[in-house]
Amino acid sequence: MTDQAELERWLSRLGWALGHLPVRERDDIVRETRSHIEDRMASGGSVQQVLSEFGPAERHARRFVDEIEAYEALGSQRAGDLARFVANRAHRSVGAAIALLALILLAILAGVIVLVVALKIFDPVHAGLWVGPGTAFIGVIDDPASARELLGLWLFPSAAVVLTLIFIAGRLLLSSVVPWMAPRRGRPPTGPG
Amino acid sequence: MSLKHNPALEHDSVQRTQMLKGLAELALLSLLDEEACYGLEILERLRSDAGLQLAEGAVYPLLHRLEKSGWTAAEWRLDPQNGRPRKYYAITDAGREELRAQRASWSEMSSRLTHFLERRVRP
Repeated sequence: MTDQAELERWLSRLGWALGHLPVRERDDIVRETRSHIEDRMASGGSVQQVLSEFGPAERHARRFVDEIEAYEALGSQRAGDLARFVANRAHRSVGAAIALLALILLAILAGVIVLVVALKIFDPVHAGLWVGPGTAFIGVIDDPASARELLGLWLFPSAAVVLTLIFIAGRLLLSSVVPWMAPRRGRPPTGPG
Repeated sequence: MSLKHNPALEHDSVQRTQMLKGLAELALLSLLDEEACYGLEILERLRSDAGLQLAEGAVYPLLHRLEKSGWTAAEWRLDPQNGRPRKYYAITDAGREELRAQRASWSEMSSRLTHFLERRVRP
């Protein structure tokens, strides 16, 4: 393979690895990287030497993606962006994996509460927070006479409070772990970008 | 040469990388405050003048983020000598403000740390 072919192959892998960025942004990164490599080659470096200093194209692309994702998540502060940032790192960071697990548990808990609230609206006799001999659960009971329902209509405001607490806990978790995992630990960007 | 995985070394390397990134951002903004530069020129000057041993491609994601943040503005220019296109970065007003904030923060942190480290040297 010629030097030029090797360079083109590396750059096309870089472009492919940056695939989910907007085309203009991706092309700009590839063009700038090409300019850098050609400058190095013009000063006497071999293409193999320059590319080995960059490392694999996928790793170089990952640096951009990490910076951009961190910038967007920290800049927007939206729960969805922050959660996506954590999820995208869960396979290569223990901290992110633990945070993602905690988020999933919170989401499951929130889902159960929403489900019980919906059931309480459509089937108020069987749905609720039940306590009986040797049992206590939130959900639907087959025989309402076998246990006592504790909340009644208080289920609705209680669910609202618990859902709010779950949301706050999730936000706090994301706000603390994302800056810690971002490529540069520090204050989030505040520019107009 | 041994290529065995060493968690302590890796942790050290991650910490060093994180610290370098913060310092690189400050040094980079300071450099652009002097004049507009292109990526390779920035990398060389951060290595030679600021003593930051950055990896070959490490400066570009940082430049990309600073541009998105609005702290720098970039434009493509043709090199008058060889006709090769180069992307030049210049600091913006928002970038100057950020540089002032980061410089103040760094000065305070480094002077406090120096003071702390010298506490046992004093009589």
